[in-house]
Amino acid sequence: MRNILFYRLLPSLFLISMPIALAAQNVATVSLPDAPDAQQQSTQQPSSSSSQQTQPARPPDLSDLGFSPQQTQADPQLQARLDKRTHMLKVHQRLGLITLAPMAAALFTGSLAKGEDHEGRTFRAPSDANLDFHAALGGLTAAMYFTTAWYAIDAPRIAGTHHRGPIRFHEALAFVHGPGMIATPILGIMAYRQEQNGERVHGAASAHGAVAGITVAAYAASMLAVSWPPKFLHRH
Amino acid sequence: MIRRLGVALLVWSAAPLVLAQTQLVLVRSTLSYHMSHPIHHVDGTSTEAKGKGTCGGAKCDFLIAAPVNSFKSGDSNRDLHMIEAVRGAQYPMVVVRTTLPNPIPADGTIYADLEVQFAGQDLHYPHVAFQKSTSGKQVQISGTVPATCSDFKIEPPSFLTVAIKNEIPVSVSMTWQPQ
Repeated sequence: MRNILFYRLLPSLFLISMPIALAAQNVATVSLPDAPDAQQQSTQQPSSSSSQQTQPARPPDLSDLGFSPQQTQADPQLQARLDKRTHMLKVHQRLGLITLAPMAAALFTGSLAKGEDHEGRTFRAPSDANLDFHAALGGLTAAMYFTTAWYAIDAPRIAGTHHRGPIRFHEALAFVHGPGMIATPILGIMAYRQEQNGERVHGAASAHGAVAGITVAAYAASMLAVSWPPKFLHRH
Repeated sequence: MIRRLGVALLVWSAAPLVLAQTQLVLVRSTLSYHMSHPIHHVDGTSTEAKGKGTCGGAKCDFLIAAPVNSFKSGDSNRDLHMIEAVRGAQYPMVVVRTTLPNPIPADGTIYADLEVQFAGQDLHYPHVAFQKSTSGKQVQISGTVPATCSDFKIEPPSFLTVAIKNEIPVSVSMTWQPQ
C-alpha cells in the first residue's frame, strides 16, 4: 500500500512542483537586466539550483528603481535645443562684456561733452570733435547692446523650466537698462539738437545724463547678478 | 518516506522563489557636485536618487541612479547650462554600480570600486573611501567621488570667459534600509 502511494504520488508531486519552479525561473529570465554583458552573464548563473546559495544574487537594474521612461530616455532634440541655447547665451555673454567698454567710454566722454558756464549757458567742452566722439560711442554702444539683447531674446526656451535664482534679477534688470538704452540715445539726440541751436539743454533732454547713468548702473548690476554669489560669500 | 520526498520536492521546486536574498533600498540621499570658478563656487544638489542593493552569496550589488536634471544649484540658467555641458538630455541618468562583500563590512571606513555611467562615458573609480554608520535598521553611507570634467570628456563650462576648475567632486550621503 505504501509503495503504491509512493509511486502514484511522486510523479504528481513532481508535476505540481515543476511549473512553480519553471515560473520562478521565467520571472527571473524576463526581468533580466539590460546592463553590460559581464553582468548579464552573472545573472544567468543562478539558474542552477544546486549552487543557488553560493551564487551571487541578480544585480539590480535601472528598471528596478522605478524611474519613468521620460526620465531615462534620451532626447536628442532637447540636447540640440540646449546646445543652441548655450551657444547663443555664450555669444550674449561675450558681446555683453565687450559692450561694457563703449558704454563706459560713452559715459565718461559724456561728462566732457557738455558743460555750463558761470552764467548757466551751455558750452561744448572741450570741442565739437569730443561731442561727435561721444555720439559715436553712444551709437556703437546702442548697436552692440541690442545685438547682445537679441542673442538672449532669441535663445531657445526650454519647456518646464521654472526661473529661479540670480538669473531672475538679471532678467528683471533688463526692464531697467532696456528702456534706458532706448531713451538715452533719443534724449542725447534731443540734447545735441538743442545745443546745435545754441539753446541751453532743457526739458526731457536734460535727463540724458541721468538716464544714461541709471542705465549703466542697471547694466553693471545685471552682470553682477549672474556672478552671484561671489566666492567670498560662498558657504560650502 | 513519501512525506519526506514530497517536502524535499516542494522545497526544491520553490527554491528559486525563496532564494535567500537581502534587498536594501535607498530611502534618503543627497548627491552634490562642487564646482569651482575664480569668481564663485557652486554646489548642485540632487535628492532624487534612487537605489537598490541586493545581497546574495558572498557579495552585495548596489545600483544608485539619479536624473541629471534633478541637480539644482540655485540658479535655473546655470542648471540648464550644466545639463547641456554634460549632455544630460542625451544621457539623462547618472548611474553608479558597486559591489561590496556580503556581509557588508562593519561601521567605519569602507572602500568601494565604483562603475559610473555619466555623460555618455563609463568610468571605473577604484577604492573610493566611504564612511559607514548604522542606526537601527538604517545604514548611512557618505563619501566623495573624485570626479573631474576630463574623466567624462566634459568641456569645462566657462563664465566671463574663464573656465571652471577641472575637479568636480561629488559628495554622497545615503541612507539605506532593508526592503
